Amino acid sequence: MSEENGAGEEAREEEMGLEGRIHRLEQILARMESDDVALEEALKLFEEGIGHVRRAERILADTELRVEELLSADRTEPMELEES
Amino acid sequence: MSDDLSLDLFDGVEDPEPTSAADEPPPKVEAPTSPEAREPRVWSVSQVNRAVRGLLEDNVEPLWIGGEIGSWTRSRAGHRYFTLKDDKAQLRAVMFQREAAALPTDPDEGMKVRALGQLTLYEARGEYQLVVRRLEAEGTEGLWRLAFEKLRGRLEAEGLLDPARKRRLPAFPECVGVVTSPTGAAIRDIVSVLRRRAPWTRVVVSGTRVQGEGASEDVAEALRTLVRSGHCDVIIVSRGGGSIEDLWAFNEEPVARAVADCPVPVVSAVGHEVDVSICDLVADVRAPTPSAGAEAVVPDAEVVLANLRQTPSRLAHALRGMTTRRRERIDDRLLRLGRAIERRMAPARQSVDLSTSRLERAMRSLVDKRKRALTGAAARLEALSPLATLRRGYAVATRPDGSVMRSVDDFSPGTDFVLRLDDGRVEATANGIIARREDE
Repeated sequence: MSEENGAGEEAREEEMGLEGRIHRLEQILARMESDDVALEEALKLFEEGIGHVRRAERILADTELRVEELLSADRTEPMELEES
Repeated sequence: MSDDLSLDLFDGVEDPEPTSAADEPPPKVEAPTSPEAREPRVWSVSQVNRAVRGLLEDNVEPLWIGGEIGSWTRSRAGHRYFTLKDDKAQLRAVMFQREAAALPTDPDEGMKVRALGQLTLYEARGEYQLVVRRLEAEGTEGLWRLAFEKLRGRLEAEGLLDPARKRRLPAFPECVGVVTSPTGAAIRDIVSVLRRRAPWTRVVVSGTRVQGEGASEDVAEALRTLVRSGHCDVIIVSRGGGSIEDLWAFNEEPVARAVADCPVPVVSAVGHEVDVSICDLVADVRAPTPSAGAEAVVPDAEVVLANLRQTPSRLAHALRGMTTRRRERIDDRLLRLGRAIERRMAPARQSVDLSTSRLERAMRSLVDKRKRALTGAAARLEALSPLATLRRGYAVATRPDGSVMRSVDDFSPGTDFVLRLDDGRVEATANGIIARREDE
């Protein structure tokens, strides 16, 4: 049961973008720096935080800017631009 | 009879169309030698007015005339009628709709202007007038400045320029919208900055004309379409530098209204540093150039990466801080407990004869024993500080759900549990339980 929950979280985590991860990291740090966090929770938060850092770094290293041109309110197509 | 006149009427002026004059011999203006001999040649008003008109139009090149605006009226068809005046004279002028459409705004009464036009005669009235092609107010930017101030005044009165309306830009936009010419320098500058600073971003470009008649409405529509697409967290409205006329679309009402109505924060990046547009005033943020607009909407990857690299040590520091705080609390309790015992001892000291050393020794040993017990408790709690302990080679037994197993009572033969070590976990099963004896 708990294993399944863990796997589900993992999948959701994989989808998180950079913004979401950095936001979550701020939450984790705030929680860990508060006084009322239990040791076990702190450990879990620590591990989760490290995971976000790793994946966020990967997003930064691997992604390339996507540029699309809007053709209509519900249609876009990739746009080629020469660098200035 | 031909309507065309020979212009011998006007001495020394050449006939602009000599061929038509051939139909009829030129009239003589000198007095007839004998009144009875010949009736005077009588010209129609139309003929004369046409002749004078031809004279004016063919012999006076278009020219600039400076003066003050008077009696400015606008006809239903969009033509402007007015007079140009100075302190001694006035001149009728007309600006037809086609030329007037290029005016940023109508001038104010009494405004000093210069007009480029052709002198002509309005034949129906016999009035001579200037047909104006261009009208400029004196001083830098003249009518443009006037139009700008008029619109700014209206928007201000509606509260659309209120600083309280300005929204904060999202810290991490996933998608940046750009309203600009798809082929201009602005989009290349913006994309180049975004590529360098925030390569994880998606950019959606809503292309539009950015200058010429109707451009303001086009820009507004491109912005509205982009909003309807629902992709963007923030939008840059942009155009590269140019003359005030080139940038004018961004000083007109359609763009101003569309930006004010935009539900997504808007950065205006129009022209160069010195150009402030109405669009800039209405937008949430004004950027001096297209590149600066791009810099305003995304964080810098370098900074993000630097922050990320610091995060693990911040996390570890937080964890250490947590265990330190815990230890401090325990130390504090120990100290208070010790003092309480001392206080309890004091009356005992008074009441008991100091020579009864046996009792004193007993008391002391009691205190020592308690202190030792408390110190042991402190050490055990300290051992709970997990990272340091695990790193020293200890392991924590946990249930599969992660909760810590603290006692042999948590185990029975066959219990599955997980041993957490510094560098990982071991899944284990308890084989036998040996309880520690009390006096150990």
